[in-house]
Amino acid sequence: MNKRKVIEKIMLGVISSLAIISAIPIFAIIINIYSEGARHLTLNFLIDLPPPPVSGKSGGIGPALVGSLILTSLAVAIGGSIGFFTGLYLSEFSHTRLAHYTQIFLQIMVEFPTIIIGLFAYMVLVAPLKRFNALAGAFALSIVIIPYIALNVREAYRSIPYTLKEAAFSLGVSAPIAYLRILLSTARRGVLTALLIGMAKAAGETAPLLLTILGTTFTYFGGLDQPINAIPLLIYNFALSPYERWHQVAWGAAAVLLTITLMIFIISRLVVREVKV
Amino acid sequence: MKSGRIFYTILFIFVFTSLLIVVGVVTSLTVTSYPIFSRDGLSFIFKSTWNPVKEDYGILPALLGTLITSAIAISISTPLAISLAVFSIEIVPSKFRAFINNISDLMASLPSVIYGLWGLYVLAPILHQYVMMPLHHYLGFIPLFSTKPIPTNLFTAGVLLAIMIIPFASSVIREVYNAVPYYLKEAAYSLGMTKWEAIKTMLGYIKSAIFAGIFLALGRAMGETMAVAMVVGNTFTFPKSLFDMGYTISSLIANQFPNAEAYNYMIPALYGGALILFIVGLTINLAGLYWIKKVMIKS
Repeated sequence: MNKRKVIEKIMLGVISSLAIISAIPIFAIIINIYSEGARHLTLNFLIDLPPPPVSGKSGGIGPALVGSLILTSLAVAIGGSIGFFTGLYLSEFSHTRLAHYTQIFLQIMVEFPTIIIGLFAYMVLVAPLKRFNALAGAFALSIVIIPYIALNVREAYRSIPYTLKEAAFSLGVSAPIAYLRILLSTARRGVLTALLIGMAKAAGETAPLLLTILGTTFTYFGGLDQPINAIPLLIYNFALSPYERWHQVAWGAAAVLLTITLMIFIISRLVVREVKV
Repeated sequence: MKSGRIFYTILFIFVFTSLLIVVGVVTSLTVTSYPIFSRDGLSFIFKSTWNPVKEDYGILPALLGTLITSAIAISISTPLAISLAVFSIEIVPSKFRAFINNISDLMASLPSVIYGLWGLYVLAPILHQYVMMPLHHYLGFIPLFSTKPIPTNLFTAGVLLAIMIIPFASSVIREVYNAVPYYLKEAAYSLGMTKWEAIKTMLGYIKSAIFAGIFLALGRAMGETMAVAMVVGNTFTFPKSLFDMGYTISSLIANQFPNAEAYNYMIPALYGGALILFIVGLTINLAGLYWIKKVMIKS
């Protein structure tokens, strides 16, 4: 009997310490990034052009921030609408064969290595234009977020009670009004969460951008058919560069990206909490 | 009724677009990589050369790099992910449960480039000094640890991947653990089992779901690009030990693609690598999804 108690104590201790160990990195990451990067967080850092690699001059991540905003909004607009309607279809017409296969395809898409999506976007939009361009980047990011949005929108519509759906249709309104006005207002928090998840993904995704926008440009926005930069790509390029000054900029940019991610994460949690009350 | 018809048409168009994209991705990989497979056949997979000047490509080292790093990641993250899931359900006071789950979800949603930056400048030096050097010093006679390590190598990439995939595996396990019928837990305690014995019983009950979660995490690890590209060393050599610098398929693409256009066969070779990565990853993911479905139906 005592032996079993002892074993229990030991094993529970082991499980607890392993669990704590697995949570240490996230705290370490947040602390390290803010301790290295927070001192760069000034207004000028958000606006200015990157500094030259070897000089003490100040500089910032302006073009990359602008690029990230443009790419993320485009991706949420394109990927959001495709994902939304796909998710709506999956929820409301789940009995159809098309829904069944779409579901499987989306599951596969979630697990696609994102760099493969970059290769696809390269073939569709970069190779024909013979130039890295912003549109290809937005296209790739849209594809990355479609499955996340679709699967979450599906859940949002699925969680609407059946009686409510019947009530909506018994009003005699047409399908678009029933789905997009009456039922959407019930599912709005779920849909909003889906869009926020997509936005966070699009803002932080790097691999497909490497093959579509290249990100070596130091200019602000020059048109959708021109190369553009983005914060995650700038972090990658600057962190791997041999210049100490650029490493500092990478840490500062990481602090900006981390702040954006944390903000979207917290907002989406607040949205979910309200819906549960 | 007319607006209804337009609505359904739009709905169909969007759904078909989603389907088309998946088909398009697979087609573009197959078509673009065709030249390298028609020229070299399967020897493209089993050669270990990467010589753009001679247009000679084989991706075996990168494929092995992918397998080695994901194997390291899985062996480290499995016990941690199971512990995290069990801890959040059975051990932690219910007040803190939401907090733990939020932390886990936050880990899953951090951009991989942030993991990469942290891995390169914080994790790699720590691992180098406190793990790899001692292992090499005392156990260097074992081939696995025989290379004199520098901070960025396959081992560092594997550890970083482990950290990144813990939340995925853990959330799958958490979900299935919660889905176990409550009477099973009651039965376990009514037999006079200790908490640990009850946990053991529960884990045994969802064994295959745990495998499924690990498989899904494995799929993630294989496809992960940026974080790995930053810490794996990016050197095209046949890996002889865990401490060799190397490549994974995805980091090879990320690293080589910017100068691929200058050569005739490098783009097909990189797409070929991506195709292989896609097929391996797809098999693993489908196996994982199939297992989960089976378990969910059972319980």
